[in-house]
Amino acid sequence: MGIRIALAGNPNCGKTMLFNALTGSNQYVGNWAGVTVEAKEGKMKGERDVVIADLPGIYSLSPYTPEEVVARNYLINEKPDVILNIIDGTNLERNLYLTTQLCEIGTPVVMAINMIDIVEKNGDKLNLEEISEHFGCVCFEVSALKGTGIKKCANKAVEIARKNTGIPPVHHCFDDKIEAAIHLISTMLPDSIETKNKRFYATKVFERDELIGIKIPEAEELICHIENDEYNDDSESIIADQRYRYITSCIDECRVKSTKTPITRKIDNILTNRFLALPIFALIMFAVYYLSVSSIGLMLSDFVNETIFGDNGVPMLVSDFLTSINCAPWLTSLIVDGILAGVGAVLGFVPQIIILFIFLSFLEDCGYMSRIAFILDKMFHRFGLSGKSFIPMLVGTGCGVPGVMASRTIENESDRRMTVITTTFIPCSAKLPVIAAISAAFFGDAWWLAPSAYFIGIAAIICSGIILKKTRPFQSEDTPFVMELPSYHLPSVKSIAKATGDRVWSYIKKAGTIILLASCLVWFLAGYGFVDGRFTAVEMDQSILAFLGHLINGLFAPLGFGTWQATVASLLGLVAKEEIVGVFGVLYSDLSTALTPLAAYSFLVFNLLCVPCMAAVGAIKREMNNTKWTLFAVGYQCLFAYFVSFCIYQFGLLFTTGAVGIATVIAFIALAVFLFLLLRKPKYNIPKSAVNTEVVK
Amino acid sequence: MIQWLANNLSTIIVGTILLLIMAAIIVTTIKNKKKGNSFCRCNCSGCSMSSHCQSRADKPCD
Repeated sequence: MGIRIALAGNPNCGKTMLFNALTGSNQYVGNWAGVTVEAKEGKMKGERDVVIADLPGIYSLSPYTPEEVVARNYLINEKPDVILNIIDGTNLERNLYLTTQLCEIGTPVVMAINMIDIVEKNGDKLNLEEISEHFGCVCFEVSALKGTGIKKCANKAVEIARKNTGIPPVHHCFDDKIEAAIHLISTMLPDSIETKNKRFYATKVFERDELIGIKIPEAEELICHIENDEYNDDSESIIADQRYRYITSCIDECRVKSTKTPITRKIDNILTNRFLALPIFALIMFAVYYLSVSSIGLMLSDFVNETIFGDNGVPMLVSDFLTSINCAPWLTSLIVDGILAGVGAVLGFVPQIIILFIFLSFLEDCGYMSRIAFILDKMFHRFGLSGKSFIPMLVGTGCGVPGVMASRTIENESDRRMTVITTTFIPCSAKLPVIAAISAAFFGDAWWLAPSAYFIGIAAIICSGIILKKTRPFQSEDTPFVMELPSYHLPSVKSIAKATGDRVWSYIKKAGTIILLASCLVWFLAGYGFVDGRFTAVEMDQSILAFLGHLINGLFAPLGFGTWQATVASLLGLVAKEEIVGVFGVLYSDLSTALTPLAAYSFLVFNLLCVPCMAAVGAIKREMNNTKWTLFAVGYQCLFAYFVSFCIYQFGLLFTTGAVGIATVIAFIALAVFLFLLLRKPKYNIPKSAVNTEVVK
Repeated sequence: MIQWLANNLSTIIVGTILLLIMAAIIVTTIKNKKKGNSFCRCNCSGCSMSSHCQSRADKPCD
């Protein structure tokens, strides 16, 4: 029979990285708490009968979130042969709290103290033998990042599982009174509970843990007596306090702590400083978007566009080849003017995508992105969102679909809905080519354009938060945000390459599939139409596409881009946002003549803020689980995007030309309404909780 | 007929290849959608939420 080893530990202690190293899997690793949300299993390399389960991170076996329930249920109900407890060596106190509970389950535990490289760098020294003695389980030093100690530790776990040594003894004890109570409760437990699990269940009954599903009314009197007469505290706190006392006494004996300030603390003193944090964040994101879209990325993109997708590149070679083999002109045109123009326009931005994701992966891996959630929490709280809403936005920079799905970790229903509605305001990788194309064609690659797209996204989220929070459906209690901040570390080249490679590959795959099909469709619809009731090749302005665009382009005229081409591009952007660039590639030989710079910026903002691609709308529908809420989300995004673009274009016209018309007056009225919604006092009293908690290592 | 085929052979071959590519894309997309694989066309292995997709909930992660 096979062996099952469960990887259990606090969030962000390196379980998934260890899981990948042991199984050869490629699961996503992120440097923030809550990346893994369900149990994943994989076979151990070199041990085909050993299955390793990567569980979501938990702080204790008293779960509060759905992911924690998943992990606890696996550990208790699935009964793994061994638990490999991953412990973040830089934060022993909190990590060992879970260890004290794992040791009570009745399953052998092997401790792996991870991030040992950072522990050593901080100058701390650990006595593994002492730790093993105190907790009654074997203890190893590992570094998942550097790959040291992993195999040794896993082999020991396999060895223990094969030996099947029986119930491991529990080494830590509570006060005599508590021990006596737990012992008494364990005798009251139903017979269906195995002897080895009795201590765990008795402790949970003592803590009044309802999720465990066991109620013993006879024990209630005893628990109340201990709470009121002996400790003057609730039973859960009594147990937690006793565990921490035990851990603290152990650590005092097992660890020699360095007196020097950890480097993480030094960096945090600057990066999370209450006055400097936001300007530094703005500066970093500005630099990221500027470097990836406007400077280094642009140089590389220009090179690719000129050498590969330029007039003398692949299109010319293909065109010459097809002509030489006597291929029909329409087919040559479909391949060169349709497919290569559309797909090439999208692929030309790959270098910029690569640079952007190298930077974003670095920021994420080194631990800075988690800090941004904390930095923004204070600001977001003021505007009705919580810092937790930043995690979906962070995921959404890659793709809006997982971004929307990441909102599931937000417990508060109205906050979650608000996050679902606003997450896609942050530019995803599909919107980057649109930003880059507009920047290059209309603004001469201005330094401010790409960063402005990111900050408009953030501003849209904040404004939406303020406006929506003042309405009844979004009124809710202000929930505190507690987040673990990981230690800073220099990410490995491999992890950055993997994260970037995954994202870039999905971008290329999209270009080679959906964009290719859409480009063919655009070429066909833009080249054919009806003349005198006959379907034939026509000029672009008489094509089916032009006809369809003309049906609704009037809607976009007040935004400055009322041409049928821009209208069609915006609509096809619903298939995939990259397709906007693909459509421009097919319809225009020189994009810079298509619109005025002001109209182009209005077009860009509209497409950044408007409803995302259909896949993301599908994700919104699933997360909302309600048609009305989905329609509200889509309607709100469209209306908000329309309003912002309308104001940008109309006020832009006013400032640049001085022209005043009916549209300008309407823009003033719309702005007044917007400011009223933004600044009015909330009708409903929102209970405030000023808690903004961080756990800094 | 044969003369017409001979005159348009390159068009037929290139057109057929293109049609096959397009058909393969459509079939793969539909298959993936039915399987619940990467319905968003993002890369599952690089996605923190791949195991969170409802359509993939009862499947092991690839």
